[in-house]
Amino acid sequence: MKNKKIDWGYFLSLFISVFAALLVGAIIMLITGHDPISAYGETIKGAFGSPRVIGNTLAKSVTLCMTGIATAIGAYAGIFNVGGEGQLYLGGMASAIIGYTCYGLSPVIAIPLAFIAAMAAGAFYAYIPAVLKVKFKVDEVIVTVMMNSIAIYLCSYLANGPLKTSEKGIASGTPAIDPNFRFPSIIPNSSLTTTIFIAAVITILVWYLMRKTSQGFEMKITGQNSRFAFFSGMKSDKSAIWAMIISGAMCGIVGLFEVYATQGRFKPDLSNEFYFDGMLVAMIMRYNPIGIVFMSLFFGAMKVGASAMELNSGVSSELILVIQSIIIFFMAAERGITSTIKSRIAVKKQRMQLNAKLKEEA
Amino acid sequence: MGEIFNVALLQNTLRTATPIVLAALGGLFTQHAGIMNIGMDGMILTGAFFAVLGSYFFASAAMGVLLAVLVGILIGLFFGVFVIRFKSDEFIIGVALNIFAGGLTVFLLRTIFGVKGAFSNPGIHPIPAINIPVIGSIPILGELLNNNTVFVYVSWILVAVTYLFIYKTPWGIRLRASGEAPHSLESAGVNPNLYKYLASILCGIFCGFAGAHLSLGYLTMFTEGMSASRGYIAFACVIFGMSNPPKVFLAALLFGFLDALGLRLQSLGVPSSLTSIIPYLMTIIMMVYVVIHKNKKELNI
Amino acid sequence: MDNAESIVKFEHISVQFPSVLANDDVSLEIKKGEVFALVGENGAGKSTLMKVLYGMNEPVAGKVYIKGELITKYNPSEAIRLGVGMVHQHFMLVPSFTVAENIVMCKEPMKNGIFFDEKGACEIVENLVREYGLKVSPKDRIDRISVGLQQRVEILKTLYRGADILILDEPTAVLTPQETDELFDVIRRIVREKQMTVIIITHKLYEVMAISDRVGVMRRGKLVGVEQTKNVNERILASMMVGREVLLPKLERKKTSGEELINIKSLTVLDNRSLEAVKNLSLSVHAGEIVGIAGIEGNGQSELVEAITGLRQYKSGSITICGKDIKGMTPGKIRDIGVSHIPEDRMTTGVSLSASIEDNLISGKHKAEEFAVKGIHMKRKPIREYAKRLFEEFDIRSSSVEISAGSLSGGNMQKVVLAREISFENPVIIISQPTRGVDIGAMEFIHKLIIDERNKGCAILLVSADLDELFALSDRIVTIYEGRITGEFVNGEIDKSDIGYYMTNASKIDE
Repeated sequence: MKNKKIDWGYFLSLFISVFAALLVGAIIMLITGHDPISAYGETIKGAFGSPRVIGNTLAKSVTLCMTGIATAIGAYAGIFNVGGEGQLYLGGMASAIIGYTCYGLSPVIAIPLAFIAAMAAGAFYAYIPAVLKVKFKVDEVIVTVMMNSIAIYLCSYLANGPLKTSEKGIASGTPAIDPNFRFPSIIPNSSLTTTIFIAAVITILVWYLMRKTSQGFEMKITGQNSRFAFFSGMKSDKSAIWAMIISGAMCGIVGLFEVYATQGRFKPDLSNEFYFDGMLVAMIMRYNPIGIVFMSLFFGAMKVGASAMELNSGVSSELILVIQSIIIFFMAAERGITSTIKSRIAVKKQRMQLNAKLKEEA
Repeated sequence: MGEIFNVALLQNTLRTATPIVLAALGGLFTQHAGIMNIGMDGMILTGAFFAVLGSYFFASAAMGVLLAVLVGILIGLFFGVFVIRFKSDEFIIGVALNIFAGGLTVFLLRTIFGVKGAFSNPGIHPIPAINIPVIGSIPILGELLNNNTVFVYVSWILVAVTYLFIYKTPWGIRLRASGEAPHSLESAGVNPNLYKYLASILCGIFCGFAGAHLSLGYLTMFTEGMSASRGYIAFACVIFGMSNPPKVFLAALLFGFLDALGLRLQSLGVPSSLTSIIPYLMTIIMMVYVVIHKNKKELNI
Repeated sequence: MDNAESIVKFEHISVQFPSVLANDDVSLEIKKGEVFALVGENGAGKSTLMKVLYGMNEPVAGKVYIKGELITKYNPSEAIRLGVGMVHQHFMLVPSFTVAENIVMCKEPMKNGIFFDEKGACEIVENLVREYGLKVSPKDRIDRISVGLQQRVEILKTLYRGADILILDEPTAVLTPQETDELFDVIRRIVREKQMTVIIITHKLYEVMAISDRVGVMRRGKLVGVEQTKNVNERILASMMVGREVLLPKLERKKTSGEELINIKSLTVLDNRSLEAVKNLSLSVHAGEIVGIAGIEGNGQSELVEAITGLRQYKSGSITICGKDIKGMTPGKIRDIGVSHIPEDRMTTGVSLSASIEDNLISGKHKAEEFAVKGIHMKRKPIREYAKRLFEEFDIRSSSVEISAGSLSGGNMQKVVLAREISFENPVIIISQPTRGVDIGAMEFIHKLIIDERNKGCAILLVSADLDELFALSDRIVTIYEGRITGEFVNGEIDKSDIGYYMTNASKIDE
């Protein structure tokens, strides 16, 4: 609850939750006949064992961090954006269209154009549920989940239909973007590209907005108590809508990253629930931007390490998803559990004091 | 038009609506008990997986359903412990439950069956279709109403049972009170949380049914993420039907109809990715309609 | 009556809440067949003690005997078994259920073994109505009947469960005088005819005199005295309640009179159900005066305040503040033209509970150059210093300015709201229920603050359910009933008992 001071109780709970979740993971492995120590060992090796995998880990962390912060800024202003996946798809599609229609153009013109397209697509797609929520109080979770499916199917239609490439050997997808537009990789053979710098700048900007500006302050107060924000003379509706627009734009950029850094074109399997991974990170860190950066590194390593684990020790990499959600369960219950413990201790203490006092008097 | 609208369309409507009907009936309990349950999707998905597991290993559809129900009870209890006991955020637990279910089923799919993506095997015993000669002899209607899988009929019966339970039994009355005014129960010496748990567990069971129908009745296989946001759609039906079983049933039928219509359109050459959008789009329209309609009504009292 | 047997006995009861000792070593006996009044200020521990009797609070020390039986398990079902019934201040009814369903809930008549017997329930209610003369119609929905009828339903509920010890917690707070009279008739009848025991919690002393046989006074968790009602009067009880002779010190007020800052003409405001809550109301407040609005809660006061402060749009009429028509303005714009607002519900409107105290203190001025460069970049240091200054100025007691506002006590939270609103230095201040749920020390401080602002020349509109407060602070008092103004008086020209007439009598309107 403290504002700026570090909340050690929270860190302790987080540490215990992560540890407990890893323990549950280990138990599941034991039950399914695997050796947890070697599996976790493989995970660590798979995430940090060579420059190439470190690059992959960082690249994964970039995605997690961007999507995590995107969740956080919406939640900060009181809207739970579950629709990042759809915003990501639309952003990816919009940037891909720019990428192949501007084929041959100078990257200096084309790339900013692609960014604008991706951000606009994502932002627009987040704007709809935001307005529905703010103006009509329509539940944003259901709407954004539905919008995810709509966007994914729509993009799949486009990539298989009107916008399908004529190249041979590509089952579905748009034409390839101009190779000159693609982000150069930093560590050879890894998926780490210069997107990490862009992501860092965006993260810092959003952190600054959230924590250091009066606009961020208004978002925070709106998210905590929108009636109080309105009462205090803030434009609470506007704050919430802007938060969602930023959130959607960030998701659009993640889509762009996938197209311009990884795939080279839009494919219907652009994202494998990347947004939900980031959303989990944000939920675990209670939407704290700095916390999200660090937790992204941890989960990025887990994700990348998991494929190595699957390959070398036969444990399915989905176990990581199970572990992540268990951390969420623990963290979501944390307040309930600690407050129960605290109030029990307090009542016990007071009862003892009172009894002592009564004895003294008697 | 005749190519689109025929008995097969209506038959498909019943088939595709059934999982949503079942899940929505479950969601209606939690809604009445004052819990916003968006974790139904995960409940359906686990139900679907364990139904296949039970059916395959015990070589019996009944065992599949039983296993799905048992797991449904566990998940309902699990959800309840977090939301009721620890007072955790319903959104977060619901969303986390869905992600958890997605991860767990895929993990188990690979670990137990050693396959990726989907598991289908002749060893999975599907839920049989029932032939009721009396119904079958009615012209047209007979064709529509006969030869459906058990759960289609079960879901109809459950609509009635749920209605009676919620509105006509003391436990239903208390369950509704636990959501609307929990203190009223407390001051009568009854713990409202008992009824919230009951609702949560019932929801787990009904979603177990929905999952079992999905993987043993509708299809005879399990695929990754096969619940396909049906839990969310069911939630929308609960809202749209104002938590009243017959109305919720009609809302779910509407979805089934749209789904079936999509399938028909596909067979006429419309791309499946476009027809698949229909139910999701419809859900959004429904949610908006409900809210705007409610606002209007409030202004007119 | 003096020799009647004791039916309830508290022995050395102490109840501990997380931050306060709510009951401190209370011993009390209630006698069979009496009407016992329990009086005390807000937070004196009256409800806490009665909730012990009803099994909703568990004492950390002491014993309770009901009809001679020692209570070992504190829960309402145990209390119900022993014949205790409680009508809570906030009713424990299910709004969408019928009267009959509410009354029989948790002890339902059944048919065919599993079904709720609706007809049986209605018959039960009709029988109860006949037996006790509390008229209700069993098939009405709770949210469609008046508060007075809802209270009857609550009483019938306890009677149906076999209560012969009835606890009524602030039963008249929401009732009109007629309804109060009816309730008192019912109490007298059930005591006389059914030999019931009634415990009534209240802070209205004239009610104590009207209805009770004996009276117990509580102050800060302690029972400070139990008397035969006939041996005391309101003055004595009042001084027992606050622990000293004078209720509120006479506050020095300078003679000021200034221009008209609030002008309301023929204002009509709708409530959430689109009913007219404020009807054709006109009012004006000048600089340097406090105008108090007296009325029973729910007579349009909240809607009036919300309309003036922009939280609610109004249907017709006009509101002019500092010479500007505020039609269609947001709360922010109205703030800008010079209105501060201390809202009635500080928890949901007055503060953000999860924000830190300093964030709460600067909300609304967070874009001022003092705190934010160009209205964008916020500077922590001046904010902290500012917050610390307000802390001292307004005597806010908390370990730090960084902890969340939700962790503050009622009085300190209200001081946070006052500190923020007063430091805007606006010429107009709208104040609702400034001392509700606030301890006496904080109350005096808050009253002094309000008078100070008046003396500085602010125009203040004060809404309070507490008549003492209105009389202590207002220059003029306006009575409101069903959204209309029924009387207007210069403070000092009318006394408390007369004003009650205007708060309840609609015949005065439109003359």
